[in-house]
Amino acid sequence: MTFLSVMRKDLRLHARDARFLATLLLFSASLVLILSVAFGPIFKDPTREASATLWAALFFAGVLGLTRSLDLEGESGGGDALRLTGADPYSLYLGKTAANFLLLSGVFVLVLPIASIFFDVGNLEVLPGVLGVAALGLIGYAAWGTLFAALARGLKARELLLSVLLFPSLVPLWIGAVKLTHSLWAEGTVEPVRDWIKVMAVADILGLALAAFLYELIQEATE
Amino acid sequence: MNTAIPSWWRGVGAALWALAAILLGASLWAIWNYAPTEVQMGIVQKIVYVHVPSATMTLCAFGLTFAASIAYLTTKQWAWDAVAAASCELGMVFATVVMVTGPLWARSAWNTWWTWEPRLTTFLILWILYAGYHVVRSSIRSSSKRTVSSILGIILFVNLPVVWMSIQWWRGSLHPRNVTMTGEMRTTLLLSMGAWMVFFAAALLTRLRLEWIREDALERDLAGARTPEAGRAGA
Repeated sequence: MTFLSVMRKDLRLHARDARFLATLLLFSASLVLILSVAFGPIFKDPTREASATLWAALFFAGVLGLTRSLDLEGESGGGDALRLTGADPYSLYLGKTAANFLLLSGVFVLVLPIASIFFDVGNLEVLPGVLGVAALGLIGYAAWGTLFAALARGLKARELLLSVLLFPSLVPLWIGAVKLTHSLWAEGTVEPVRDWIKVMAVADILGLALAAFLYELIQEATE
Repeated sequence: MNTAIPSWWRGVGAALWALAAILLGASLWAIWNYAPTEVQMGIVQKIVYVHVPSATMTLCAFGLTFAASIAYLTTKQWAWDAVAAASCELGMVFATVVMVTGPLWARSAWNTWWTWEPRLTTFLILWILYAGYHVVRSSIRSSSKRTVSSILGIILFVNLPVVWMSIQWWRGSLHPRNVTMTGEMRTTLLLSMGAWMVFFAAALLTRLRLEWIREDALERDLAGARTPEAGRAGA
């Protein structure tokens, strides 16, 4: 299947680049450190501050991953070779999105314990819920991020443009993720902010659906 | 491709500018002399006659960008891309008016310049995203500029229903869900709405004319470069 092949290819290339992975992980850990120092040393509302820090670090560090996935397309004509195979563009998009999602999930697995330790929040009981929120948030991030990254391919100052377009688009996802994580850590349930699950799910579906219509056009435009 | 500007274009544009000037003058007169001053907010309430029409025109302009973007991707005619870009620029002007008049109202009505309520937050996101549209558009020099801009015009449209429905979907909105105006206030608001609409049409035609001139110049340059004389001169 094209989708799986593209995903495996991107993940393999990420895995071979130890320097990139180390930079990504150090950058995200540094963001958590900086934000926890900014909020601390005495936290007013640790669960709120920790959830905001966790997701801010993830979203900022995620841009590095998206930019790198763009570079993979450009290196050694990899992107052109993929298009020459005649594979369905949406399958290519889904493969890249899945690879970005798994990369971001890896960052999440690293950042979550750091934020939990620094802010002294969270417990194993709510961990499945937090992982569910992470899945919703990161699927949307990967879906929208891959779409915008494809659009920014070949542009000048693309990292800047990616941030300018991507972060405002992700605000519903970011607010939802922060509110749900905060609710889980503070009250052990998502009930008070349950509506945000719907908002995040809609954002995820919308990103994937828009790509189904537009990704082929984006590919043609940025060739 | 014939890129010459039709002769009627300038005439229609001039007529629309004249009508816009008359209507804007009339709406200003109505705001100050015809509409009564609201009892609680006083003179600050008159901001509504600029704020609401600007917000409406913002949504119309970005909606037109969306429609023209689809039309460009379907037909690949440069004129649709020009309409999308021109409409988006005007939408940004109207959106900026909304962002300036909103806090002026908020300071008087809610005792704060800014609050993170749903309509304000979603509108700010909209403003940033469409500003990003212009940044992206101006940074592309290649032939893909029109296609990339059109795709962006479609993607960003997703935010319009969110802005419109934000006060229904989220609690804690300070914006009223329904505004009922009667008498002179209603008439003044409708007059302002009409004036801004004609202003938008006039400005759009003028902006399109500039785009037309640019396209014509580009066409002439290309035609000049294709002649044998130009080729010898280049060599």
